[in-house]
Amino acid sequence: MVVKEDDSALFNDLQENGLDIDKQALAAPVKNAVEKFHLLPEFLKVRGLVKQHLDSFNYFVRTQIKKIVQANDLITSRIDPSIYLRYKDVRIGTPSLVIDGVTEKLSPHKCRISDLTYAAPIYVNIEYITGSHGSKATQMKRDVIIGRMPIMLRSCCCILYGKDEEELSRDGECPLDPGGYFVIKGTEKVILIQEQLSKNRIIIDADKKGCVQASVMSSTEATKSKTVIRMEKEKIYLYLNQFATKVPIMIVLKAMGMESDQEVVQMIGRDPRYSELLLPSIEDCVKEAVHTQYQALEFLEQKVKKLPYSTTYEKEGRVLSILRDTFLANVPVRQNNFRPKCIYVAVMMRRMMEAILNKDAMDDKDYVGNKRLELSGQMLSLLFEDLFKTMNDEARKTIDMTLAKAHRSSRFDISQYIVKDSITVGLERSLSTGNWDVKRFRMHRKGMTQVVARLSYIGTLGHMTKISPQFEKSRKVSGPRALQPSQWGMLCPCDTPEGEACGLVKNLALMTHVTTDEDEGPLISLCFSLGVEDLELLSGEELHMPNSYLIIFNGLILGKHRRPQKFANAMRKLRRAGKIGEFVSIFVNEKQRCVYIASDGGRVCRPLVIADKGVSRIKEHHMKELKDGVRTFDSFLKEGLIEYLDVNEENNALIALYEENAKEGTTHIEIEPFTILGVVAGLIPYPHHNQSPRNTYQCAMGKQAMGNIAYNQLCRMDTLIYLLVYPQRPLLTTRTIELVSYDKLGAGQNATVAVMSYSGYDIEDAIVMNKSSLDRGFGRCIVMKKMSAVSQKYENGTSDRIIRPDRGNDAEQVQILDDDGLAAPGQIIRNMDVYIKKQSPKITRGPVQPRADLADSAYTSSKQTYKGPEGETPVVDRVVLSSDRNNNLCIKFMIRHTRRPEVGDKFSSRHGQKGVCGTIVQQEDFPFSERGICPDLIMNPHGFPSRMTVGKMIELLGSKAGVSCGRFHYGSAFGEPSGHADKVETISETLVKHGFSYNGKDFIYSGITGEPLQAYIFMGPIYYQKLKHMVLDKMHARGSGPRVMITRQPTEGRSRNGGLKVGEMERDCLIAYGASMLIYERLMISSDPFEVQVCRKCGLLGYYNFKLKTGICSTCKNGENISTMKLPYACKLLFQELQSMNIIPRLKLTEA
Amino acid sequence: MEGVSYQRFPKIKIRTVRDDFMKFELRETDASIANALRRVMIAEVPTIAIDLVEIEVNSSVLNDEFIAHRLGLIPLTSERAMAMRFSRDCDACDGDGQCEYCSVEFHLRAKCINDQTLDVTSKDLYSSDHTVVPVDFPDSSTGLDNADNRGIIIVKLRRGQELGLRAIARKGIGKDHAKWSPAATVTFMYEPEIYINEELMETLTLEEKKEFVESSPTKVFDINANTQQVYIYDAEAYTYDDEVLKKAEAMGKPGLVEIHAKEDSFIFTVETTGAIKASQLFLNAIEILKQKLDAVRLSADTVEADEQFGELGAHMRGG
Repeated sequence: MVVKEDDSALFNDLQENGLDIDKQALAAPVKNAVEKFHLLPEFLKVRGLVKQHLDSFNYFVRTQIKKIVQANDLITSRIDPSIYLRYKDVRIGTPSLVIDGVTEKLSPHKCRISDLTYAAPIYVNIEYITGSHGSKATQMKRDVIIGRMPIMLRSCCCILYGKDEEELSRDGECPLDPGGYFVIKGTEKVILIQEQLSKNRIIIDADKKGCVQASVMSSTEATKSKTVIRMEKEKIYLYLNQFATKVPIMIVLKAMGMESDQEVVQMIGRDPRYSELLLPSIEDCVKEAVHTQYQALEFLEQKVKKLPYSTTYEKEGRVLSILRDTFLANVPVRQNNFRPKCIYVAVMMRRMMEAILNKDAMDDKDYVGNKRLELSGQMLSLLFEDLFKTMNDEARKTIDMTLAKAHRSSRFDISQYIVKDSITVGLERSLSTGNWDVKRFRMHRKGMTQVVARLSYIGTLGHMTKISPQFEKSRKVSGPRALQPSQWGMLCPCDTPEGEACGLVKNLALMTHVTTDEDEGPLISLCFSLGVEDLELLSGEELHMPNSYLIIFNGLILGKHRRPQKFANAMRKLRRAGKIGEFVSIFVNEKQRCVYIASDGGRVCRPLVIADKGVSRIKEHHMKELKDGVRTFDSFLKEGLIEYLDVNEENNALIALYEENAKEGTTHIEIEPFTILGVVAGLIPYPHHNQSPRNTYQCAMGKQAMGNIAYNQLCRMDTLIYLLVYPQRPLLTTRTIELVSYDKLGAGQNATVAVMSYSGYDIEDAIVMNKSSLDRGFGRCIVMKKMSAVSQKYENGTSDRIIRPDRGNDAEQVQILDDDGLAAPGQIIRNMDVYIKKQSPKITRGPVQPRADLADSAYTSSKQTYKGPEGETPVVDRVVLSSDRNNNLCIKFMIRHTRRPEVGDKFSSRHGQKGVCGTIVQQEDFPFSERGICPDLIMNPHGFPSRMTVGKMIELLGSKAGVSCGRFHYGSAFGEPSGHADKVETISETLVKHGFSYNGKDFIYSGITGEPLQAYIFMGPIYYQKLKHMVLDKMHARGSGPRVMITRQPTEGRSRNGGLKVGEMERDCLIAYGASMLIYERLMISSDPFEVQVCRKCGLLGYYNFKLKTGICSTCKNGENISTMKLPYACKLLFQELQSMNIIPRLKLTEA
Repeated sequence: MEGVSYQRFPKIKIRTVRDDFMKFELRETDASIANALRRVMIAEVPTIAIDLVEIEVNSSVLNDEFIAHRLGLIPLTSERAMAMRFSRDCDACDGDGQCEYCSVEFHLRAKCINDQTLDVTSKDLYSSDHTVVPVDFPDSSTGLDNADNRGIIIVKLRRGQELGLRAIARKGIGKDHAKWSPAATVTFMYEPEIYINEELMETLTLEEKKEFVESSPTKVFDINANTQQVYIYDAEAYTYDDEVLKKAEAMGKPGLVEIHAKEDSFIFTVETTGAIKASQLFLNAIEILKQKLDAVRLSADTVEADEQFGELGAHMRGG
């Protein structure tokens, strides 16, 4: 009501005072919103761009690893139980490597250069028993290394942690590099974020036949299981892996001690509709004559899967232990009290029945709130747990074996038996192959890690936020691929690949945070002290009383609460006050009459400004304090001005986009609307004016654009680097660009584009380029490739040697070598040039040879030659000598090639508008304006109508205004109301002020005739990216050349100088056209013609006897009926292969 | 055909001439001549630019090709260029382009020895010929101090980095590479002819007149403060954007102004890179254009013409 009055007062004012007040009133909220933006850089300062990875890893090394070690802290000998080893503490040291007994500190860059793993030792403190037989003593040992843990860059264990820009550059590291990946054997590996369905939560859905089912994926430290309760033909059954068939749920309940049907009905709820649904199941139970717990257990016993090697056969024990440990494993059973489990089943059934009665109650598997993201920390902890347990088992086995021996020579020391290699090797192997094979948890996943994409800076960032899907890509379902409304603000709506993984692979939005696990104990006791009635104390009847809500904590039913809203508010207040973790979510589900509290890891959440009755808690003075540096983002969080909401809790919030939209009931206000996009989509100017697929295309292309990779790009030794000679920052920027420092490591150039038709070489998205622009450096790029050589040491003590080139002989080939036998930096390297003159010893095995030098004759040459296309002139850029893991001398060469754009190179604007260079035209032929402006490239206007990339047009306008007034213009997504995007209207005003037409069109003269063009031409700067696809790497043609040995057909593929295939469809065309001789020529003469001797009598192939000069049939043993004919060699091969399989193909010849 | 002469006598009126800028009118000719002049100025007037670089030492952050490319784009004073020989048809050096007739040698040697970054600029290039040096802009209009004017930056060096090279500059034309183009901007426009229908204009109120004047993005019209009459402030500021015509239409006064492009007079704007003076560029362009025409005329009926001009040659012979 108050607001309304204000409104009307304002309206009156408006009418009285005319326009003056209007301007003020409009300006005020805009100003407010602009200021809120400053939270974002502050947020990213504390968070970084890959906080989710870092947090997860930090949690693992700080907490999780300790828990794992604590849970498996004892190794006891089975032979002598008094001999034991106990882990007291575990910690991760600083990354270092022991070389020849000397500990050497590692830096990430050093690891990249010399192919090492960036790993730190895992130290444990142990307590153990020494001595043998009689005399035993307890001993302590500190800092025993049990293995080496790969360290995530920029995590708390990394040497880069907390360093400033200058220190980072001193370590050879790019200050803008986000970290969040590992360096394994010199390659950078990132563990992709894995999308999973929530663990330990009831999910109601329908199976293929339309049967409603409730399923729970239980996951505890001890076991993992899947429990499904399904309604089939009106009866309810339990599906569990341990039972061979489905089991009636009523029998299961009876087996758990719920003998009374009435209690079951009460627990589900006394609503007659539910009872009706339950009735067939109860009847079924009676039909089976199961009335007591004993009978139920008897019944279930028959259903238990028979394990092939079960020796001890305890009857009730088996079923009960299944019910206790596997069935709904997440619900703990204390002292054989199955009641919580029964209630859990009842709640599952109740929800299932709700879903049957009302289809809306069905859970959506694609709902982001039902998903969890698994991050590197969790993945590593799984792996570590397995390896640690394996190591302990191994240790126990060896201890037992030693103890079993009657006579032990040396003093027994248990600490000697910890093998540290298994953990190191296991971690390293999994990270470098990406295969997570953990038998203990029945986990076999492939492709978990990927090599960090270093094609462009933005590609690297995009790779860190990539989420790999739970399903295999082949599934032809649309549901998981569709854009989910709950993705808002959490996952980027634009950034997804095209093709098979479309919609399955996603990317995080700019402000998304992924939670880590939080301690449950204090939270549970807090719930109880806030008035939750314990489940143990409730009867079935009381469970679903109309005025009470169930409290469910991390999927576990704690009890009920009579005033759920008040409870939730109290919890939230505590969270805002910082008394409980900021990522704990409290979600009141009115429909299910439940309050869900979640503190588990892997939930996605994002920060929002808290509003009280629609009034933002952040006031102007807060923002001023932030600007003055008195405040940080964390202080906003601590003072309860901002909070993190996860997807579920968002359902309880009413979130206003802007403060001026806030109404009475508004609880939160967005920080900035453009943060719903991710890092990669954030580069697009005015994305909200584009057709949405265009933004998706750009997201894929932005990662292929050349530019600067990192500040240390010239020190890196990647296998392939593409760099731009003169990269620029875009004239039309966005806030995201500034936040992620794309303006410092850009990947493109601002080209003056004229949108017009020119020359006909611009059809189908081809662009016409200005030769003078290319001369001056537009689109010029550097391609660097790595070649490496290893000077190997052999087991017999010999080693490779690199020798001085002999300039007398083969001078042509070794001219680029220095006297040390390696190619000299700065030399032009051509095809067939030797870049390392290496020799290997002839004998590399056998006994160790004396150190004395071998004679020259004992070596064979193993020089390496450069293989590149003819006519290209690359240059040796750098030569790096380092020692690799096996302490061999490793020599790496970087070969650099500078390229200017040529016809066929691929370019793209930031709006998914890619095109190849169609022709290159002299500047004097290019159109010009009377100001002397001449475009750098010409784009065909046909690119616009069907693509509807209005954003590109606005980019052109904005850039044009930007260059003329000297201010970078902005085009952030949805930025017009908050001032993060310049409006077309103001841009036009700027244009007019600087003497251009408001619509961005110019009066242009033809460069060829000098006459004015018929139309005004839309012309101005657009940021263009050069994509990595260049003709030079792709063009291919061949005449005669290599053939495949087995079929004698030409090889395939450019790399093998292969032929161009006439495929099935091409063949069809030629047949239809009737060009039989052409087919004959293509498929036979130019492929694999072969002359064979065919026996007319037996129809088999013979051979030509050169002595007798006749063909002879080897089957008929004579040469009487031999004809000579031509055949594709592959055909002859087929006949022979068939014969080898006991099938006789016979040729019947007739006269042609 | 015979006897009819299409000969015209174009007139040139120079408006402004500075070292690197010139504005002139070209009258009584047509677009083909004007455009030919423009094209020659951009692409065919020779200058001298660095064409071959031998790097002796380079420990800078930029690689050899990068530096060579940057060196090539530095404008060199090229008054001598017209008289010089192209290295490809120089008899004195068999076309390898290393003699006094066709090339100029430059040396550059720089090393940073202190903690401050050292800017290596065009001023560090030492020429073997004092007439061919990197272009200097002493009379920078911004009024910058000469001490600040350090020339064109080639590369920046930090402590310990070194650059040493030998470069050979040669004569060339913009057609081959933009570095040889002496023109920064060469452009022309048709001279607009604006006619104000005073009678109709007087029917407008002052407000409307103001609106009309402001409708043009460039300042073409203005209002006389005393007489309140609309007058042509600067006809050449008109960019043929039709805005005023549309405005007149919108005001319901079509024909308020009439604007035509004078098809036979052009206003040229020439700006050079500093390699040669703007006036010299224009003269050289005319010289080259003449040579080209001579080549056509002299070989009009020879076999060479066929080779050189293809069908065009035969066409010319045939009349």
